[in-house]
Amino acid sequence: MPTMIPRRRREEWLLTLPTFFWLTLFFIIPTVIVLAIAFKPAAPHGGFGEGWTLRTLMELGNPNYPAIVFRTLWISAVATALCILIALPVGYCLARASRKWRQFLMLLVVIPFWTNFLIRIFAWKQVLHPEGILKKTLVALHLVAPDATLLYNAGAVMLVMVYTYLPFAILPIYAAAEKFDFSLLEAAQDLGSSRLGAFYRIFIPGIRRGLLTATLMVLIPALGAYVIPDIVGGPTSEMIGNKIAQRTFVDRNLPHASALTGLLLVTVLVVTGGLYVLVRMRKIPRALGRSLAATGTGNLTTTAENTAPVTPESIADLVAEEEKNKEENAEEDAT
Amino acid sequence: MRKLIPIVIIAIIAIIVFSSGKSETQKILRIYNWADYVSDDVIKKFETEYHCQVVIDTFDSNEAMLAKLKAGATGYDIVVPTEYTVNVMIDDGMLIKLDPAKIPNLKNIDTDYAKLMRDGKMEYSVPYMVSVTGIGYNPEKVPDFTPSWSIFLNESYKGRMTLLNDMRETLGAALKSLNFSINTTNDAELEEAKNLVICYKKNIAKFDVDEAKRGLVTGEFFVVHGYNGDLQQIIEEAPNIKFAIPEEGTSMAIDCMVIPVGAKNVDLAHAFINFIHEPENCAATMEEVCYASPNTEAVKLLPEEFRQNEAVFPKKELIAKCELIEDLGDDNAKYTKAWDQIKSAE
Repeated sequence: MPTMIPRRRREEWLLTLPTFFWLTLFFIIPTVIVLAIAFKPAAPHGGFGEGWTLRTLMELGNPNYPAIVFRTLWISAVATALCILIALPVGYCLARASRKWRQFLMLLVVIPFWTNFLIRIFAWKQVLHPEGILKKTLVALHLVAPDATLLYNAGAVMLVMVYTYLPFAILPIYAAAEKFDFSLLEAAQDLGSSRLGAFYRIFIPGIRRGLLTATLMVLIPALGAYVIPDIVGGPTSEMIGNKIAQRTFVDRNLPHASALTGLLLVTVLVVTGGLYVLVRMRKIPRALGRSLAATGTGNLTTTAENTAPVTPESIADLVAEEEKNKEENAEEDAT
Repeated sequence: MRKLIPIVIIAIIAIIVFSSGKSETQKILRIYNWADYVSDDVIKKFETEYHCQVVIDTFDSNEAMLAKLKAGATGYDIVVPTEYTVNVMIDDGMLIKLDPAKIPNLKNIDTDYAKLMRDGKMEYSVPYMVSVTGIGYNPEKVPDFTPSWSIFLNESYKGRMTLLNDMRETLGAALKSLNFSINTTNDAELEEAKNLVICYKKNIAKFDVDEAKRGLVTGEFFVVHGYNGDLQQIIEEAPNIKFAIPEEGTSMAIDCMVIPVGAKNVDLAHAFINFIHEPENCAATMEEVCYASPNTEAVKLLPEEFRQNEAVFPKKELIAKCELIEDLGDDNAKYTKAWDQIKSAE
């Protein structure tokens, strides 16, 4: 039979083999082990017992969980949305900046990585310290009450999350924006679109792959966050990650920790899959573009649409068409 | 670039060869201990006397330590669990039986304390330090302080207080203030304690173990639930901080040195236990970590001022109100459940 497989196919298989082996050994097998432990009975002093059970899965019906899952979802979703909202203009400016400026700005984005992640979170504790300069300034400006606390609440968790994950949103958006043909924006403006309208209707749909990557790069680690809510979160900002840590270290209930990990994995898969399908159907960028255009530059663009025979949407369609063709070509090349 | 690669490879091999060569001549004693719980001078003295290197890893709760060992962490020669966890480890066959002939300094151990332990004959464990939990506070910010757990119900310090992120200690504080046993398995009593902790929770900034005490110095927190020695260490740096043991009583813990199964240097570990209980070494450690060791000879060597410090050596009548935390086996689940409800309560 092997002789039946075309040579190119075989080479491809051989080439993917090391990656496949690596992923199996260090990703698939550990994940399966973790999930399998969820079906083992818990031993009273840690570890797990003999045999198999479904009891742990039933225990996921714990009435305390929905609140934690909901909190994890909304904190992650808001943090992701904020990251994208900040990263979009930053990525756009980076791609349009001159070479010299671009290098300088990129350096500013990347420099925080030179410092350890934990140290940066601890630095935030100093910034938000109740006796710190920021707090004192805010109190002096009558923006917060003197006894308000900036730390140890969901807001602090979100702030530090946005700060930590922002580069992960900027980099893919920048990478996509760099490949974007900015003359399309000029064309849209020639056709009567406003600058902002062109940004929302042409630029955003044009970089939607980068947007998807950026969303996933922020959302997935945010859903599994543990250190940030542990350090800057308060008694009511516990997330799934903290619960998994508690089950592992304090309760020594490995099966339960595994079951929760499974729950987190399913959440991530559902969210990722959902986003992917939505973007594939091109619903997100256009819906986003439309709603933003309606709020921000609605009047201008609608008048533009009325007068211009070619609308910015038609360019967006053209861009999408072109990209789709490119993808198809690429897929053909690959096979 | 290409020329660099072989140089880097040679350098890596050289490092591996030299470092492994080093470990053959010099033994490494690996200790798994609580943070800030040894005297660096005493450790250095041990290293020079026994021509070895001491490596210390730290944990912040017995449960975390046990979870790590159960998950397969090996290679520790000495572990310093609290007495109730020692019993779990003995029952699970995780400890090596000690050879008393190699630890002549066992004679210095105060039998009054040893009697409190299930392993009172010190077959598997040797007491290291005794601690009690209490409240560290800043008297400038909390002028109306009274030594009672009820401080956590005081709304004027809302957001400026912390409780230990430890279910037995924090539920224990609530149980004590309700005049119940710290080791209760009575559902109604636990329910009452749980509701009390939920009331405490509304006023605290967070559940924490190691960071809160530093927040006391920087002015971040005014009232911190913590271990006496930890807070005493802070007081040495910032004398404006005070420590008090609540009048309702509190939990007392005896941390012990044990040798886990799988230890690589059993003889060296015995030597270390003996070395620590050498009166002068033990006294030096006590002064550094600010905990009391049940070593009668060592206590005699301490300066009068230190021996009078009630945060380190609490009054006898307060000790009478303290209880040792016990391992509750299957009933631990009751505490876990209550703790879950506390954590998720709004």
